[in-house]
Amino acid sequence: MPEVEKTVEHKELKGKGIISSEVRSYANDPFFVKKAEEAREMIKRVGLPGDKKKQA
Amino acid sequence: MNLPHYNYLISYDFTDYKFYSEGPKGKITKVVRYTKIEENPDLYNLAFGDEQQDFWEINDSIITNNNDRDLVLSTVANTVIDFTNYYGECNIVAKGSTVSRTRLYQIGISGLLEEISIYFYVYGLKDDIWHDFQKNVNYEAFLIKRK
Repeated sequence: MPEVEKTVEHKELKGKGIISSEVRSYANDPFFVKKAEEAREMIKRVGLPGDKKKQA
Repeated sequence: MNLPHYNYLISYDFTDYKFYSEGPKGKITKVVRYTKIEENPDLYNLAFGDEQQDFWEINDSIITNNNDRDLVLSTVANTVIDFTNYYGECNIVAKGSTVSRTRLYQIGISGLLEEISIYFYVYGLKDDIWHDFQKNVNYEAFLIKRK
C-alpha cells in the first residue's frame, strides 16, 4: 500500500521579540490606564463578537 | 509574519513591548501595552504610543511623522503574535484616541489582512455592532482573536 503523505496546515507563528529587563511595566501609566478604562466601558456597551444580542 | 519590522523588546510577563522608530525626526521610543480588562473570556486592550523622554509618560496624540508608518504598524502586529503565543486564545481590542488614529489602525489591519486572517479572527465595530473586518469600511474599534 502506498504511503499517503498528510498535509497539515502550519499554524505555528513564531514571535520575534526579545525578552528584556529593559522593558519596565507600564501598568500604572496614566495613558494606558485611561485607554483600558475606555475600552472596558465600550465592551460593557457593545459586548463581544458572538454575543447573541450584539451579533451582526 | 514576514513583513519588515523593527526589532522589539518584551517585558517578562509579555504585556509590555518597546521598540525604537528611526527616521527624519530621530529615534523615538514606542511602547505597546496589553491591559487585561475582562475575564472569561479573557479580553485585553492593546494600546501604543510614544514615550516622552522628559516625563517617562506615554502619549499617542503626537503625530510622529517619522516616515515609517508601515514599519511601526507591522511591529505592533508582530507583538500580537508574541502576546498570543504566551496568553493563548484571548480577545484583543484596540481603538485609537482619535478618529484619525483609529483610521491609522484600520489602514494597518487592511494592509496585513490576508496574512493576519490566516491566524486571527478580525472584527470591526460599526454602529455598536461587531462585523467581520472588511477593507474600505470605517470602523470605530477593532477586535482580534487567535484562531
